Amino acid sequence: MNLEIVGLWIAALLTLGAYTILYRENPIYRFVEHLFIGVAAGYGIGVMVADIMHRIWWTNVFHDGKWWWAFALPYAMWLFTIYTEKYSWISRIVIGTLIGAYAGLYFQEFSSVYLPQVRSSFKPLWTSDANPDLLASGVINNIIFLVILLSVMTYFLFSFEQKGGVKRTAIFGRWMLMIALGAIFGNTVMARIALLIGRIWFLMHDWLGIGK
Amino acid sequence: MEKRSVWDRLLAIDRRWLYLLLFANIVFFLLMNVQMPAQITPPAQALYDHIENNLQEGDLVMVSSPWGPSTIAENGPQFQAVIRHLMRKRLRFAIISFEAQARDISLKMAKEIAAEEGYRYGEDWVHFGFLPGAAIAVRGLSNDIAATVKTDVNGTPVVELPLMQGVRNLNDFKFGLDITASATLKLAWLAFKPQSLTMGYCPTSVMAADAYTYLDSKQIVGMITGAKGAQEYEELMGIEGGLGAKFANAISFSHVLIIIFIIIGNVAMAMARRQAGG
Repeated sequence: MNLEIVGLWIAALLTLGAYTILYRENPIYRFVEHLFIGVAAGYGIGVMVADIMHRIWWTNVFHDGKWWWAFALPYAMWLFTIYTEKYSWISRIVIGTLIGAYAGLYFQEFSSVYLPQVRSSFKPLWTSDANPDLLASGVINNIIFLVILLSVMTYFLFSFEQKGGVKRTAIFGRWMLMIALGAIFGNTVMARIALLIGRIWFLMHDWLGIGK
Repeated sequence: MEKRSVWDRLLAIDRRWLYLLLFANIVFFLLMNVQMPAQITPPAQALYDHIENNLQEGDLVMVSSPWGPSTIAENGPQFQAVIRHLMRKRLRFAIISFEAQARDISLKMAKEIAAEEGYRYGEDWVHFGFLPGAAIAVRGLSNDIAATVKTDVNGTPVVELPLMQGVRNLNDFKFGLDITASATLKLAWLAFKPQSLTMGYCPTSVMAADAYTYLDSKQIVGMITGAKGAQEYEELMGIEGGLGAKFANAISFSHVLIIIFIIIGNVAMAMARRQAGG
């Protein structure tokens, strides 16, 4: 019996163990749950050491002569001072660096991700020589798009009390949001069923050899 | 003892029977291998057409693969279908993972398909392994791939890989694909990729609804949605009996069963209330 078969049996039995929760809460499920979390964390650390500590940090410091990278490791280790009462303030320096770096990155993200969407929300609402390919169906689509866009944005106007036409527009916007959330939920159901099918396929195909 | 109506009995069914029915339904339709025709959605068609018509043999494609075992049923068929398309089109590609668990899965799958399609590692495709912090990583790849990645997954320096000769950064790639179970498209690729790099998107089903805004704004050229999208892509490529088709058919019949459960449950609740005078 080679290691691959042993691994296959372990995976199959752990899969079945995880699904025992569907019957009722039990120690087998708890064991599998803790094992899964532990293995995932351990695997992640292993990949980090191999792909980051060795490949990037070690190579930079000891092969590429970028000695200043040596400071990155102790600097990152300062994060662990969060566990001591006396020196936990040191960890805030690292956290502050991370927050500052990511805040800077997100400025760029905002312009790169959202500005094209703002630009694309300016759609032609009638046919003209400037839009020779625009059909009547496209015009209707664009009008629907604009109405929904404005009504949903109205829903998020919280700076003043919504009354009259503004309130009715906001309610319409809320309905449109509900429809969108319904579509997302439908996709969520599909995703969860797909995950179940994946495990059942593993048990049938890989473990029991059915359909191979 | 008060006699319960059929509606009350329906409402009192133990949910574990429903789980069992769902399980039996999935097993049955996986075993039966029912071939349902896939309705090709415009985003899947657009992704296929872009790769087919806008990319030339030998062009470079960057494949981002941040997904793990938990979404293998959705991202696995997507990955297989798209990678096979790249190989049949004779495009060269590099794979990179921003998810630690994704590194080995994507490498294993790509190796298996490469063996079938006669693709040579290092010359036709490479795997850059795992990089943390997708946003910073994509920013690094946009500037200098060799400086960011250092070595491929086997420890070979990037500068020594035949595929990477004359390649400096993402500007040298013609297309990018994000096969993902996390928000890497928005937080990393769209934010920090070069303007010249067009993107395709292969998310899990739960993420797909959000991505239509990116399709509308043309920030992505096409999309395949979960296992259903993989089935569409397999059909476009003429692959019969692929994983996407198997899974999508079982999903469709599971949905039918769940809809029946919902209808029965709601009718039973309404009738039970009516009988109770509510």
